[in-house]
Amino acid sequence: MPDMVPMSVAQPQERQFNPYSDNGGTILAVAGANFSVIAGDTRQSEGYSIQTRYAPKVFRLTDKAVLAVNGFAADGNMFVKKVKQRLEWYRHAHSKDMPLRAVARLIQSMLYARRFFPYYVYNILGGIEEDGSGAVYSFDPVGSYEREACRAAGAASSLVQPFLDNQIYFKNQTPAPGTSHPAHLALTDVLALVIDSFTSATERHIEVGDGLEMYVVLAKGSPLQGLELVQGVQEMSTTTDGERVFIVRRNLKRD
Amino acid sequence: MDHSPMNWGRPRNDAVDLYGTYPIPQRPYNGSKGSFSAGVQHTQQPIVTGTSVLAIKYKDGIMMAADNLASYGSLARFKDVQRLQAVGDYTVIGASGDMSDFQYIQTVLDELMVDEFTAADGHSLGPAEIHEYLSQIMYARRSKMNPLWNSLLVGGFKDGKRFLAYVDLLGTTYSASTLATGYGSYIAQPLLRKAVEGYEDVLTEEEALKIIEDSMKVLYYRDARSLNKYQVAKITAAGTSISESRSAETIWSFAEDIRGYGAQTQ
Amino acid sequence: MNTFADRFSTTGALAELRKAQKAADEEEFSDAMWGSEAGFGSLAKGVPTFSVPNIPDPTAFLRLHTDDHADPTCKIKISHGTTTLAFRFQGGVIVAVDSRATAGSYVASGTVKKVIEINPYLLGTMAGGAADCQYWETYLGMHCRLHELRNRERISVSAASKYLSNLVYSYKGMGLSMGTMICGWDKTGPAVFYVDSDGTRLKGDLFSVGSGSTFAYGVLDQGYRWDLTDEEAQELGRRSIYAAGHRDAFSGNTCNLYHVKEDGWKFIGNYDISKMHYDGPGNVLGATGGGYGYELRVEGLSSANPPVAAQA
Repeated sequence: MPDMVPMSVAQPQERQFNPYSDNGGTILAVAGANFSVIAGDTRQSEGYSIQTRYAPKVFRLTDKAVLAVNGFAADGNMFVKKVKQRLEWYRHAHSKDMPLRAVARLIQSMLYARRFFPYYVYNILGGIEEDGSGAVYSFDPVGSYEREACRAAGAASSLVQPFLDNQIYFKNQTPAPGTSHPAHLALTDVLALVIDSFTSATERHIEVGDGLEMYVVLAKGSPLQGLELVQGVQEMSTTTDGERVFIVRRNLKRD
Repeated sequence: MDHSPMNWGRPRNDAVDLYGTYPIPQRPYNGSKGSFSAGVQHTQQPIVTGTSVLAIKYKDGIMMAADNLASYGSLARFKDVQRLQAVGDYTVIGASGDMSDFQYIQTVLDELMVDEFTAADGHSLGPAEIHEYLSQIMYARRSKMNPLWNSLLVGGFKDGKRFLAYVDLLGTTYSASTLATGYGSYIAQPLLRKAVEGYEDVLTEEEALKIIEDSMKVLYYRDARSLNKYQVAKITAAGTSISESRSAETIWSFAEDIRGYGAQTQ
Repeated sequence: MNTFADRFSTTGALAELRKAQKAADEEEFSDAMWGSEAGFGSLAKGVPTFSVPNIPDPTAFLRLHTDDHADPTCKIKISHGTTTLAFRFQGGVIVAVDSRATAGSYVASGTVKKVIEINPYLLGTMAGGAADCQYWETYLGMHCRLHELRNRERISVSAASKYLSNLVYSYKGMGLSMGTMICGWDKTGPAVFYVDSDGTRLKGDLFSVGSGSTFAYGVLDQGYRWDLTDEEAQELGRRSIYAAGHRDAFSGNTCNLYHVKEDGWKFIGNYDISKMHYDGPGNVLGATGGGYGYELRVEGLSSANPPVAAQA
């Protein structure tokens, strides 16, 4: 059957306009017992050119939800814009912020609505659940999602994720006799791991660097857990009696 | 569902060997499939094009430059085209890429500014608003697979704040203290960054102009689609101004000694 | 086969795509989304709506940008690779799956939940596009609930699976990719239906789907009987997924095991596949003790591992 070989749905492909681009960068999120850390570098690049050294990839959605987007920057910015719009409509209808697990499902259905013309965006959603626990949800570009304890995505994900597997899930580590691995890490330890992840990714990946933005979401009524001692920490929350959002910025190497 | 282990779990391509009648299952092929294409032809490539636009931040505002050439492929077709355009009282946009698409953008922005003016609501659009509007248009057109084939710089000064940002045919946006499109992003951007980054608040107008002139000269030396006739715009608290066309002083005597350039006989 | 006919026909996948394109140009949001419907994503209009790229052949577009096998440099990598199985026996239905998701040769996740809990009586398995399975089986769950409300009784496994197969058939040719088993217990007893994105729907006793399915079938077929005890059946499911995880590079990490009985499904456990190789699944019902793979290979090869006969 020689005519079964490719020929039928005939369209010239090689000169077709390519609506996608890859703007590099890496994002990462870690969930703790009663906090969540969501981070991303601030370099935006295309090919070997650095377009800008400061283009945020992590966005505060509500006081309990922070979204990191990575992939094609135009799709990412548009997607964040639309999620924020939907959350505002929800606020008008229900006089409260959408719970985190609902935000996750909303993001799934918004991504899946573009199943046949996908957003080239890897999303990681971090925040606090209604039960006060820290949570991270990671998505693929067409909306399949999973709740996890930690996740890295983007250009250097294959460098960062194995490090996180080892340091957060204690993969390939054996506890000393008579001891066990902690179920949850302390906030200060997580921040140190995140900074190390990004400085290392900056060393080994050309698309990562320039700046680091780390958002910290704390559960309602949670103590600051050492966050007050972190240099340059800024509060982003609208109230102090609910969940609270903070941002910590660091410089990364610019070469 | 295609259950062949090589193809497993991927969308079925009806164009290939459905039932594994070949010994080795075929993979979908994304190469050329012939030229009998259908439907409306959208802009799939730029025709009459402008090359780089440069812009920097300096003490008093934004300075932007672009040459006056519109090329038709490698033909220097139109040599007095203005690629910098003031939009309202606070903003200048500079365009590279397809000139007919740029003219359409100018039309759209003109209509926008007229609508805003007639609203007479005491508000006026600044550079940030114009950039946002442009980026929404560019992204919407790329999402219709019918892009406006341009890279645009938007520079402005409003309410004591400088603004400088980029948007292109894909809807990609970013902001930085120095920006360049096209060839300029490879050749001029490193020069601009070295001269400007960290000095945005101290560079005087004279210094900024020197940086821009030097970069335009380097571009003219190396970019075969450029012209030594360009305009410089500045946007400051005093408003926008776009200069008359000017040219950089260049020296080509060195070319005499280079094999292939000059009149060597051997 | 016929471009010209495709272009002007009003039926078939391409015509559907053209209709979808037209719809995409129309209003994306409804007024209802300002109100209580704000949270409903692509379902805000009551039915799912999709935007489609405005080009002559959107399916080829999707393949160009998402099929990493046809073009390894493609950016949007959809996770693939799986082993899933389900079988019917005297004591109900056993559902066992692995937990690995791969993008090319990268293990994108080792903790994927490939059993989708549609409702307390129905399970669906995930193979193919993860998002396709998650989204449509969740959507199926909504309709199963509506069926309960309308008819005052639970939907049969047969009807639920047919709903899903009709649904994906309506998108045939647009690039969906799912191979799923809908498992449950209804008036007819335990039931398993295989449904895939081509629209195939099969009733049967035993199915395995995915790149590792051949390995799973090998173990499953030699151990399967209708009158398996619950413990034997669970062990067979576990052992089959272990075999696939061990031999198929695109399957592995852990095994999730479910058992559906008359009163609904029950999660039996999560088992590390490497651990099963060396130490076995641990102290669980049906396990014979010891690792599935290690000891029986090294037994007798060194004085540290003498054959059982020599030990006696």
